[in-house]
Amino acid sequence: MNGTQIVGPVIALAGWTMLIWAWMIATRLPALRAAGVQLGKLRGGTGRNADGVVPDRIQWKAHNYNHLHEAPTVFYAVALALAVIGQGDGLNAWLAWLYVALRIVHSLIQTLWNKVIWRLAFYIATQLVIAALVLRAACHVIAGS
Amino acid sequence: MIGMEILKPLAVLAGWTMLMWVWMYATRIPAINKLPKDGSAGADQGWTGAKLEALLAPSIQWKAHNYNHLHEAPTVFYAVALALAMIGQGDGMNASIAWAYVALRVIHSLWQATVNKVAVRFLLFALSSLCLMALVLHLIMALFH
Repeated sequence: MNGTQIVGPVIALAGWTMLIWAWMIATRLPALRAAGVQLGKLRGGTGRNADGVVPDRIQWKAHNYNHLHEAPTVFYAVALALAVIGQGDGLNAWLAWLYVALRIVHSLIQTLWNKVIWRLAFYIATQLVIAALVLRAACHVIAGS
Repeated sequence: MIGMEILKPLAVLAGWTMLMWVWMYATRIPAINKLPKDGSAGADQGWTGAKLEALLAPSIQWKAHNYNHLHEAPTVFYAVALALAMIGQGDGMNASIAWAYVALRVIHSLWQATVNKVAVRFLLFALSSLCLMALVLHLIMALFH
């Protein structure tokens, strides 16, 4: 279909989120066991309770997994809106791929190294790309151009 | 295009989220720069916005609280608005309800970021949730009718 190429990066980012989930589970469950937490006996509580209990580096994966359910939700909404009106090809698709690439780098920074200034720099870059997509979507749906 | 009117309020709410992002940075980054410098090893690594709760003035954090909040309930709005647009039900009454939702969310943001008396914030959130419920109900009716 014409105008729906932007669905490609949408699926790619959703898939990346699943990979980070698997990474989080693979590192966190052994770390919880090592910290003496007996999952079978837990009642209530949330993932935040693991901050300070398991090593920071383990929690970084979880922080990024959570983060992938925040700002990217606006990306999904705008990208799908562009696809619905047939404007998801060309520059809009390239901007979406750029967004996904920057989010993957952001994930790798946060999960592995996590210098806050670099994380911030990449976050700003990703948000500028979303802002561009929002602006272009707004022009299409409101001004009709 | 028929049924796509609802994408206008969707794009406006996404754009409003970008403005709250800018407002958050414009107040938060100067506030962070005024904090005493922590030169200890690892101080520039790994922390998240949650750490700033205890360090920054509440009125600075209110902008961030609202920015985060814009990535919570509105995700359901985006999903429902896109679904309504796809089935050609995004015009007329549904578009009006979506505009009401976005207007209430903008007022909710302004309130939370400035005055932030909780009773009023709760009322604004409850009203916006009623709009969302109406849209969800209309979607279910349109799909299962």
